[in-house]
Amino acid sequence: LKAKQTSFRTFLHDARTGSAPFGYLLVGPLVLWLVITIAIPLIYAVYVGFTDAGIIGTEADFIGLENYATVLGDAEFRSAFGKSLIWAVGGAVVQTVLAFATALALNQAFRGRRFARTWIILSWIIPTIVIAILWRWMLNASYGIINFFVTTVGISETPIDFLGSPKWALPTVIVINAWRWFPFLALLILAGLQSIPGELYEAARVDGANATQRFFNITMPQLQPVLYVVGLIGTLWAFNIFDVIWLLTQGGPSGATQTLPVMIYDRAFNGFAMGEASAISVLLCAFLLIFSVLYIMFVPAGESDTEVF
Amino acid sequence: MGYAVRQSLRYAVVVAVLGIVIVPFLWIFLASFRPNSELIQQGIGINLDTLTLDNYRNLQQAAQYFTYLTNSAIVAITSMVVSITLALLAAYSVYRTRYPGRRPLYLALIITYVFPGVVLLIPLYQLMGMVGLIDNLLSLIIVNVTFTAPFSVWLMRGFFGAIPAGIEEAAAIDGAGRMRILFSIVLPLTAPGIAAAAIFSFVWSWTEYMFASAFIVDEGKKTLPVGLGAFIQQYNIDWGILTAAAVATAVPVIVVFAFIGRYFVEGLTAGAEK
Repeated sequence: LKAKQTSFRTFLHDARTGSAPFGYLLVGPLVLWLVITIAIPLIYAVYVGFTDAGIIGTEADFIGLENYATVLGDAEFRSAFGKSLIWAVGGAVVQTVLAFATALALNQAFRGRRFARTWIILSWIIPTIVIAILWRWMLNASYGIINFFVTTVGISETPIDFLGSPKWALPTVIVINAWRWFPFLALLILAGLQSIPGELYEAARVDGANATQRFFNITMPQLQPVLYVVGLIGTLWAFNIFDVIWLLTQGGPSGATQTLPVMIYDRAFNGFAMGEASAISVLLCAFLLIFSVLYIMFVPAGESDTEVF
Repeated sequence: MGYAVRQSLRYAVVVAVLGIVIVPFLWIFLASFRPNSELIQQGIGINLDTLTLDNYRNLQQAAQYFTYLTNSAIVAITSMVVSITLALLAAYSVYRTRYPGRRPLYLALIITYVFPGVVLLIPLYQLMGMVGLIDNLLSLIIVNVTFTAPFSVWLMRGFFGAIPAGIEEAAAIDGAGRMRILFSIVLPLTAPGIAAAAIFSFVWSWTEYMFASAFIVDEGKKTLPVGLGAFIQQYNIDWGILTAAAVATAVPVIVVFAFIGRYFVEGLTAGAEK
């Protein structure tokens, strides 16, 4: 028994210092899973992008870079790319502001805090299909309650066709998606806020720092490790969102809300141009990959006191 | 500012944000009990005398609600279990052991979110077709795990960081086996983080729409969001049945959350507390 214990200690020691396969063994199943469900399909998508594949599962010929030439010369693609940028940046701004306000409020002590912290997440746990029905009804131009307020309060003389007008559709969908995601983001920020040692604030107060100074000199730097990961994953998630837009507007009216994922879906399943859809996919992935690399290189990860990152 | 002023400002913010999130649901919940004829009239007045269960009766006749519900439960629970198992092992690996390539591997896990679901939809559809998993709930479980496990790893980070260094070695000296260490020391210490990640996976899988709508054609295999999603096209302006469908889709996950929701918040935040 003695020998076994010793060898296991050695094994653990090796695992922690870097010469044993223990770590690889544990992370292996997930890595394998992701290779099969992401890497292999992706390689396949790259291949399909070089073919003239139409409907899923039909024979296709290799046509080189033709799809890429078609797509890059397509005004619809450039428009969708622009919409995607507006979608991601606009959504990030709205969500971050709402999430910070929420997190700061929920970090205070008040009666009913646990209730508030639990149910703030309601809009995030609800299936997107429910969100689509909910907002389509509330935003309806003839009898939606939002338009009742809009016309009663006098923001506009006539009802606004939020989801049906090219001018309003994109901002509306951005706000709806922000409404769905900001509580989740708020809880992640709240978790970060709670990890900030109270002594830091005490010390700053003694030194005469006001609330604004405390926010920028303590809160923000301390939150950096959380914001770093959330900023990266959140941006990637945002770029890749499909279902909310599809269920609310299907990319319309006349392409006003057609972001890249919506365009990919539309080309593949309604336009039966699998090759072109795959080419757009590859371009989108390449863009996000470049973004991620730049992000990791240039955005400070923040100091984490645990060895976690 | 006086204390009372600050306190009421605080409440004002909390009430406003909670209101933004919750009031729309109360409104649609109420709507699902109102007759169709009232739903297409403008205004905020509600006639209590005409409240009815007709919308739900129509829904029940038009949709296989309980079939969808069962399918959703199977998919969400299985996805959750598989996802957490893989994520837990991986989290232990990236946060508690040291080996060459650990940091790039960790970043690679997070970067998996670079690849849009819709990009993978096309090739995965073909692959699922090849292995005969179209119209099989297993296809949805596989995809849900792919999209929840990496973030679950990150959600557990605080708890692994909080485990005292050397505790595994101490247990090993006492003669505990490798699996025993994982299950009787690491698992209890990280339980709140596991709970948060589990709820994250469950909610994600319960709400997933895109893959479920592509991989499942058979009416008897549809999940709740997809089964009732077909209603949007079919009953375009029948707001009675649509709002009832929305409520019926939302209620199961709200009920589950009413019981375990606080663990989600505690799990997200507790590991970080000092």
